[in-house]
Amino acid sequence: MFDPTSNPPPFWQNGPAPGAFYNFPNTKSGPSDEFQHSQAPITTATSIVAIKYATGVIIAGDLLGSYGSLARYRNCPRVLQVNENIILGAGGDYGDFQYIKNFIEQKIVQEECLDDGFKLKPKSLYCWLTRVMYSCRSKFDPLWNNLVIGGIQDGEPFLGTVDKLGTAFTDKIICTGYGAHIAVPLLREAMEKNPNMSKDEAKALVEKSMEVLFYRDARSFPKYQVAIIDQNEGSVIEGPLVVKQNWSLAHMISGYN
Amino acid sequence: MSLSMEGIRPHYPDYSNAPMQRHFSPYADNGGSVVAIAGDDFVVIGADTRLSAGFSIYTRDQNKLFPLSKTTVLGCAGCWCDTLTLTRILTSRMQMYQQEHNKTMSTVACAQMLSTMLYYKRFFPYYISNVLVGLDNEGKGCVYSYDPIGHCEKATYKAGGSAGALLQPLLDNQIGLKNMEIIGDSKLTIEKATNIIKDVFISAAERDIYTGDSVIINIITKEGIKDDKFELRKD
Amino acid sequence: MSILGYNGGAMVAMKGDKCVSIAADKRFGIQAQTITCDFKKVFDMGPRLYVGLPGLATDVQTVMEKLRFRKNLYELKENRTMTPEVFGAMLSSMLYEKRFGPFFVEPVIAGLHPTTHEPFICNMDLIGCINQPDDFVVGGTASAQLYGMCEALWEPNLGPEDLFETTAQALINAFDRDAISGWGATVYIIEKDKVTVRDIKTRMD
Repeated sequence: MFDPTSNPPPFWQNGPAPGAFYNFPNTKSGPSDEFQHSQAPITTATSIVAIKYATGVIIAGDLLGSYGSLARYRNCPRVLQVNENIILGAGGDYGDFQYIKNFIEQKIVQEECLDDGFKLKPKSLYCWLTRVMYSCRSKFDPLWNNLVIGGIQDGEPFLGTVDKLGTAFTDKIICTGYGAHIAVPLLREAMEKNPNMSKDEAKALVEKSMEVLFYRDARSFPKYQVAIIDQNEGSVIEGPLVVKQNWSLAHMISGYN
Repeated sequence: MSLSMEGIRPHYPDYSNAPMQRHFSPYADNGGSVVAIAGDDFVVIGADTRLSAGFSIYTRDQNKLFPLSKTTVLGCAGCWCDTLTLTRILTSRMQMYQQEHNKTMSTVACAQMLSTMLYYKRFFPYYISNVLVGLDNEGKGCVYSYDPIGHCEKATYKAGGSAGALLQPLLDNQIGLKNMEIIGDSKLTIEKATNIIKDVFISAAERDIYTGDSVIINIITKEGIKDDKFELRKD
Repeated sequence: MSILGYNGGAMVAMKGDKCVSIAADKRFGIQAQTITCDFKKVFDMGPRLYVGLPGLATDVQTVMEKLRFRKNLYELKENRTMTPEVFGAMLSSMLYEKRFGPFFVEPVIAGLHPTTHEPFICNMDLIGCINQPDDFVVGGTASAQLYGMCEALWEPNLGPEDLFETTAQALINAFDRDAISGWGATVYIIEKDKVTVRDIKTRMD
């Protein structure tokens, strides 16, 4: 028996408080004159899967906005067509993404208003976003996102990424979040076997990656969108697509009862 | 009635005494190694191409050598976002110098400028191991190495980055001829320097998980900068 | 810095052709302050068996005494010499007994099998996890530098003279880049019918 004068032990740990339905992630109260930096993401989106194929780029991301462990928002689109040369995908904090999306759209409108026939190019946007992310991290107020920028520049496909610190690089395969651990090995193997992938092959590969991620990433969702930009066919956003689920295998796994 | 001023007091960040508590770290260790060797009329610098964080490899093909002029190259290892920023500012400072003075900045001046730029951020440093190489005003090869806050040292050879501790004693032995009794007076040639760089990177890739994939080598002579590349183990 | 680096020290053992080497520096210090330059870190545990104990000096001597005791007891009880493998296993289990309050040493063992004269080297961490490669093992505060040196200098089937040169160069150049090891070195070359011990003069700074 515990001592009646002391506090009783908690009912359970690592879960919502009794009477609550979920834990609000990373809550802390502090002195009131502190400036609240965004130090942790709130509503989050999981992996982005992106590959560069022979004549274009594909970026895929699911539609879930997670609230800690709660699958709260089921329709959060996070792949964009920035203009006809650029597509963009984002993971991490959804609020920060909406803020970024907003000022990218403003920038596109401003460029449009100049009406000089020039369009923002993917490398320019990539470079600029690198600076935006770095300047925010330097103020200790990071935008908690992984951004993946794809596009066509001078007839060549381009694929690059920036994270919340401003760490930026380009590659043929880019996955963020859980995808970096699960999808990258799949994609690298496929890319090694078939370095000059066609659009359809690349699409099938991304589809497969989204399926594997759905099975293994607890913060994923079966509905997802795919942005495709191609030298010849321009850019489209497809979806919402649905992962073809097959749980018949689950019956064969024993030992979890 | 005492209306609490605490509740409605506006926020003035400059006058706040409350300690800021921060969990966010603005730095990352993205690994990478740089090795440079200078000769009488040349200098060779090599850097691996692996960009990583923890146990994940971001990319296997990231160049970490930045040509600043026809006779100066900077090699960077450490926090990649700082590297991107620093090198971007450096190239623009090089351009500003060129346009202001109508001549290219010398390697020696560039080395001093880098030190000043690093120290300018003394209290929020660029977390980078820098190795700057080039030909000096007499056309002689030289290597400058830095700590993250701008301490600068001139040397004839230097290993920096994640495998710096593994490689520096090897260079002491093979280039500096330290602890050698019978020293032949064979002069250091470009071929010899390049081969030593290749050997030391192969050794580093065996034991350092942040070094691998491949190495990009720049050979700087009065004719200009020549590129070379060779593969390392990829695991 | 960890307590393992309180006194400083560097150590390496290498396999050769029908021979093994083990070498260590001679410094004993308290953090940056050097106390003496003739500190013994490598101990003979038999005619062809040596153990090197880099780490906290007090534990170096305690572990050495305990090992000698246990090894002598084994040899008296069993009436046979201890093989390097058995010695390694004994040391490993002795260290693991103190899993949650360990001795701060990272041992290196080098020797030849008493009857077959098969070369043997191994090292272990402070709680006795054995690593038994077929090239070289390193230990102490200059281990990163030693890995770099050994990885480049070592080659298979070195004879005793070449093995000495390789081991000595690897150790000396490595500890010259470590502030808390050096100040002289001792190299042991263990062959079937002789053990050669060489003290090496090095830079003393």
